[in-house]
Amino acid sequence: MEKLAATSPAGVLLDLSGVLILLLAFACLGSKLFNRYVAYYGAQSVVLSFAAAVVAWTFHSIELWILAGLTLAVKGIGIPVTTRRLLVRRLALSRDIAISTGLSTSLIAGGALTAFAYLVTRPELIPRGVVAAAVVPLSTAVILLGALAMVVRRHTVAQLIGWLIVENGVFLGAITLVATFPFIVEAGIFLDVVAGVLIMLVFVSGLTRQLASASATELRELHG
Amino acid sequence: MIILVILASAGPLAGTLAAASGARARQAGWAGAAGAGVAFGSAVYLLVAQLHRAPLRGWGGFLYLDSLSCFFLLTVASVTLLAAVGSVAYLSAEEDSGRLSRFQVRLYFIFFGLFASLMLASLETGNLGLLFVLIEASTLASAGLVGLEARSNSLEAAWKYVIITSFGVTIALAGTLFLFYSASGLHLAPDLALTWPYLFSHAHALAPQSLRLAFLLAVVGYGTKVGLAPMHTWLPDAHAEAPSPASAMLSAALLNTGMYAIIRFLAIARAGLGGSFPRGVLLAFGFASIVIGVLFMVRRGNFKRMFAYSSVEHMGIIAVALGFGGVLGLYGALLQILNHAIAKSVLFLSSGDVALRYKTREAAGVRGLLAAVPFTGGALLLASFAVLGSPPFGLFLSELTIVRAGFADANPVFPLLLLALLGIAFVAMARTTTGMVTGEASPSPSPYRGRGAAVAAVAPLAVGLAALLVLGLWIPAGLDTVIRHSMAVLS
Repeated sequence: MEKLAATSPAGVLLDLSGVLILLLAFACLGSKLFNRYVAYYGAQSVVLSFAAAVVAWTFHSIELWILAGLTLAVKGIGIPVTTRRLLVRRLALSRDIAISTGLSTSLIAGGALTAFAYLVTRPELIPRGVVAAAVVPLSTAVILLGALAMVVRRHTVAQLIGWLIVENGVFLGAITLVATFPFIVEAGIFLDVVAGVLIMLVFVSGLTRQLASASATELRELHG
Repeated sequence: MIILVILASAGPLAGTLAAASGARARQAGWAGAAGAGVAFGSAVYLLVAQLHRAPLRGWGGFLYLDSLSCFFLLTVASVTLLAAVGSVAYLSAEEDSGRLSRFQVRLYFIFFGLFASLMLASLETGNLGLLFVLIEASTLASAGLVGLEARSNSLEAAWKYVIITSFGVTIALAGTLFLFYSASGLHLAPDLALTWPYLFSHAHALAPQSLRLAFLLAVVGYGTKVGLAPMHTWLPDAHAEAPSPASAMLSAALLNTGMYAIIRFLAIARAGLGGSFPRGVLLAFGFASIVIGVLFMVRRGNFKRMFAYSSVEHMGIIAVALGFGGVLGLYGALLQILNHAIAKSVLFLSSGDVALRYKTREAAGVRGLLAAVPFTGGALLLASFAVLGSPPFGLFLSELTIVRAGFADANPVFPLLLLALLGIAFVAMARTTTGMVTGEASPSPSPYRGRGAAVAAVAPLAVGLAALLVLGLWIPAGLDTVIRHSMAVLS
């Protein structure tokens, strides 16, 4: 399979999008406002769809073009708009106070996780066939940052955004496998995410109605 | 043959369709049970037909059915059948008593059918990406079942369940990606590269570092679904809050589907990395789960929670057996999967009957079951002894095999530790269940209206117990062959 050389314009663009996606994950980790979480996630998805488009353009893959379009429409616009309407605005969420560590601590931990991602995905670990090997550690780092956001944030909406960031990280890793990843699988993953967000929206609004606050700190009735 | 494969996975959708078209609990329930019966029949036929044939392949690797898939199909389809019949009784009683609205009942059957058929479908695919897609979809369908009662507790459990397992399965997808990375140096044919048989036959050529990471991520990810400690935290809540037939499905079908995915990754990892790394990973997670499960079983409280922790323990035992490996370990693990599935279905279904009668899920609120409702009480007692591994039931045989596998393995500390933990589990759980069945009977009116529902409540218990007894005394030749063939597939 033809490779995307790091020096070719497409390779540079792809690396750049990967870095931007990582930075947006950091931005989300370092913020305290629900509006910002959603906005950063939306921006990250837009960059992700751009990255998919770059790969689609280089490899002339119609399926990947479709996927890039879907990413833009659903993750870049659909999910952020719905979450903002149905959750952030309707539940009048503004500041997230249910964070278990200070912002600087989580940013430092995020930095450490990024370094760790580069350590575990050393170049010799990536076999020769992968398109744009530089993206692999970036996507691993995004996955870890999303996981960190889910751990330090207690609010259900914040955890939902954390999961979506993890999912974006996996998707970034998947587009480097253009030729081998069948379209049905990619489309299925996409459908799962959409269905997952819908179900979680139902649960979060149901919980909020019953608990007055959907923070997972309140979720203490079931334990042990 | 293809028709049967489709029927085996799509059968339970009959209940979904009936419920979606507006049927009431009884009709939708029986439609679902009939569909589950069709799925079970097809699974049995496929198992027998595939015994002496090469694996079935089709649709560019998306369809792949070997002995191992047939074995799991049989397990999941039997659980689905038992739980579908049990659902008729449980949901009609809930609808009649007004605890669940007609809309909720309809939602239950819609999600139940989807959940079952997605799980069955995930066992029929050879494409590891599609395996992820189907398992994640089945998580979402079952989340609807967990949150069905829409009280704050059940919504909380459903939220925990859906966010933790979705995250876990996404980690498994990252593991799948690393597996593909490890194969990307091979220049494989694009449409086959992601299929299990292809990766398995090229396992020795996969890049080892990447494969190691892939296996670890897959065990952590799918292990979240299986309920391996420390990723098990969603499991007791979800099992306690879901309607009982749905708890049976979670514990006996869903956990096994996750285990199936781990077994597929394990086979590739063993072939590509040698035995020691996968062995260490599985023994660590396995023993952690057994310890956690046993410790929490000691606490007396909600009996469905206790059964859920017993599932954590059993999944740990299966992981340990897979870690021991060898002929005995694999044989014991597969046998344990089938036995545990049937025993847990009976246990959760009978606990559903108890919960309906006594309107409580606390063990302390239930006394004198044997005197009040001899059949349910007897089934609960026998099934709990079966789950704890006492003879003459199937789990005794499979746990004995696993312990022997441990002694055949290098270090005798592990099987001894396993035996000790099994002993503690026995005392912990038997203490609670014997307390529930003995003592003076308190009045408990039958929650079922009509003969049909009463039969549907009792039949799965009787059938399940009979199957457990048979499996304890004698392993049918066909089952033995299919387990041996599954082991051949894996090595």
